Amino acid sequence: MSVVAQPSGRLSPAGRMVVPLLGTLIALVVVIAAGIATGIIPAIVIWLGGVILANIAIVRFIVAATAILLFTVPTAFVIIFMELKVIAFMNLRIGPNRVGPWGTLASVVHGLKVLSKEDFTPTGVDVSVFTLAPVATFVASVLAFMVLPFGPGLFGADLNVGLLYFFAVGGLGVIGLLMAGWASFNKYSLLGGLRSAAQLVSYEIPLTLSVVGVIMLAGTMSLNGIVQAQSGSFLDWFVVRQPLAFLVFFIAATAEANRTPFDLTEADSEIVAGFATEYSGMRFGFFFFAEYVNVFLLSGLAVVLFFGGWTAPIPWPWPVHFLLTPVDTLVALVAVLVGLPLVGSLLLALPTWMVRPRLSFARAYGTWLLLFVPLAIGLVLLYLLLNLDALLGIVWFFIKAYAFVFTFVWMRATLPRVRIDQLMGLAWKWLLPASLANLFLTALAILVVRP
Amino acid sequence: MATQIPSLDDPTVLVQTPATIYDAVPPYAPRTEREAEFYTLRDGEMLINLGPQHPSTHGVLRLVVKLEGERISDVDPVLGYLHRGIEKLGENADYHHAIAYTDPLEYISSLFNELAPVMAFEQLMDVRVPRRAEYIRVLACELNRIASHALFMGWMALDLGGLTPILYGFIERDEIVEMLAALTGQRMLFNYMRIGGVNGDLNHEFLSRLGDWMSHALREVDANTTLLNENEIFVRRTRGLGTIDRAMALNMGLTGPNLRASGIPYDVRRAHPYGVYPELEFEIPTRSEGDSYARYMLRVDEIKQSIRIIDQVIHRMPDGPVMAKVPRRITPRPGRAWAAIESPRGQYGCYAISDGTDQPYRFRIHDPSFVNLQAVVPLMPGNLLADTMAVMASLDPVMGGIDK
Repeated sequence: MSVVAQPSGRLSPAGRMVVPLLGTLIALVVVIAAGIATGIIPAIVIWLGGVILANIAIVRFIVAATAILLFTVPTAFVIIFMELKVIAFMNLRIGPNRVGPWGTLASVVHGLKVLSKEDFTPTGVDVSVFTLAPVATFVASVLAFMVLPFGPGLFGADLNVGLLYFFAVGGLGVIGLLMAGWASFNKYSLLGGLRSAAQLVSYEIPLTLSVVGVIMLAGTMSLNGIVQAQSGSFLDWFVVRQPLAFLVFFIAATAEANRTPFDLTEADSEIVAGFATEYSGMRFGFFFFAEYVNVFLLSGLAVVLFFGGWTAPIPWPWPVHFLLTPVDTLVALVAVLVGLPLVGSLLLALPTWMVRPRLSFARAYGTWLLLFVPLAIGLVLLYLLLNLDALLGIVWFFIKAYAFVFTFVWMRATLPRVRIDQLMGLAWKWLLPASLANLFLTALAILVVRP
Repeated sequence: MATQIPSLDDPTVLVQTPATIYDAVPPYAPRTEREAEFYTLRDGEMLINLGPQHPSTHGVLRLVVKLEGERISDVDPVLGYLHRGIEKLGENADYHHAIAYTDPLEYISSLFNELAPVMAFEQLMDVRVPRRAEYIRVLACELNRIASHALFMGWMALDLGGLTPILYGFIERDEIVEMLAALTGQRMLFNYMRIGGVNGDLNHEFLSRLGDWMSHALREVDANTTLLNENEIFVRRTRGLGTIDRAMALNMGLTGPNLRASGIPYDVRRAHPYGVYPELEFEIPTRSEGDSYARYMLRVDEIKQSIRIIDQVIHRMPDGPVMAKVPRRITPRPGRAWAAIESPRGQYGCYAISDGTDQPYRFRIHDPSFVNLQAVVPLMPGNLLADTMAVMASLDPVMGGIDK
């Protein structure tokens, strides 16, 4: 017997971990029991509950902010993976296929790689500005997320100036890029930063003007209200009534998100990496994340403003609503999940047993039970999905938003980059007049139709 | 002109930075009037180093660009970062070895690098090349020309920000390179041409790959080019940009597609025919605009003509040996020889002087990229920084050939 394998005490390695945990658990139970017995814990819970209920708005905000902050990370990962894989297929390449099924974890590994790299500060940079720049960019993206409604009742905050807030906060991102370009002590970075300032400020104007028509039609600036104004079928979506506004919005949003063909701020064949040239490690990672969060953000905004947000293209024709209390719903759910397979399998097993004489009834019933259970669960879940507005809303929202994300990725694989003078010319000579024309036409139409 | 910047550890202490990293200004006093003028900055001007390590300078060219905002006011190309002394190496090797040294000159079109010296040495030796060898040379060279142009089209798109065409170009090139590897044994530095013929006859694998490729070559070219030809962004970024007119092209001695895009139908294959080109039917495509778009489209047309030549060569390929009777030790009598061919980038020439020994006395390569690069300086001023890449890409220089 080798010396190494021999346990040093009576306990096995697993036991040596479990026993202290068990001791802690017993101590905790004793303390809690004592607390309940003396009435201290109920008092604390009641007080805490009272505080939470009294400040429900603040609590809601904190929960929403945390959820959105956590939500940005997987969103960025998914979009980065999409970009890797979709562009690979369009390039007739295989793309990432090493980590995870179909390489799905490639972007996670990218994230870890960026985390583990040296966070380098070159000589000559303005250290404080250099450090704060990626934070400013990332925070601007995350803040803008707060007003985006993902489903009915699912939003960080329903501001009555939601759209204004969105553009105001979203526009803050340019300050981060400008800070990065200025502080980096690099001429490529400087060019990239100044380009981003020129580009983003120019495109804010058509972007904002193009949605004024939507605001006039909806009568509100709350994103939630704009989605509700589009409820109905897909014919009620604002893209039908505002096609020109959508076109202007989409082009301006592409420029706003620094995506091809307007990715001049980090034009790799001209100015190496633009504002991010001197960045490495997680500071670069923040820029990288912010870019992809921005892509999702603007896709989501396009969906909310022009494609009906969370509403389905064709409304569910048989509206079934729960008339039960939550507890009754749970009981009914269990009853259905247990009863439906038993009865359903019986109904299917009987004819099978009658038709095939050599088959024993038990065998037929067992087989159908096995086949029917997944089917029944699927049916019930589908039923739930169709009836839980919030769940269905999220699904529709994400389908639409990712269709836009796919379009952004598709454009990146297809189009070359425009030049800075063409970019500015497009914004001021074409998009601005087009959005103004759209604004006046919409106003005129509203005056004529609604006297 | 070194810069003093505050130290990272102690901002009150000023640190001397190495001059070349931040300033693009050479660390010595100006040696010529041009240098003095170029490196004197007026108010609002900025020098920026594009290269030698830069994503789109086609190798290790360093362009020092003088900018006013985004607009270029002057440009100074700095060469020599890829100098390997290939001409001198050739003088210290015997004639067979000298051929092998020429391969990495223009590494995109290695077969042409070999062909010109081989033709010059054959003139020195008075060797007649068998007809089958001549046909194989034309076949291999035209394939190499297509590979080079396919890669050019991808680069052009990549320098303008398009991601996809470079990969389509590489797929096209890969098929050809694999084919040539079956013929020559190498993918990139073929070392296939020999004094008096070629190294090895056509083999089954090469021919089957060639047949496969010919069946879809034209279709692939059309499919790959339509992604760019009619793309509004691409056309707007290249049309009317970097225009070289006829007089300018002739004065600077441009050759190849860059010259033909300015409307001058000069092609060595027609003007000073060599090999079996007189027997083959092909057109010399020209364009009159002389801008970046014309230079791009001209290369697309050249690919189609090359496919036409390959088609004829396959059908007319004669039987016979692929090597002439050549002594193992090449000792030509003293003399001089000049041979020029049409490489994908223009007139590629070799001037060889023999002193009667088994090593060339002088072995001079005339490279078209070097001549074409002259056009960069007059074309740039007035354009935007992003146009540098469009113009550079359309001139298609290869630094291996320029720096030798």
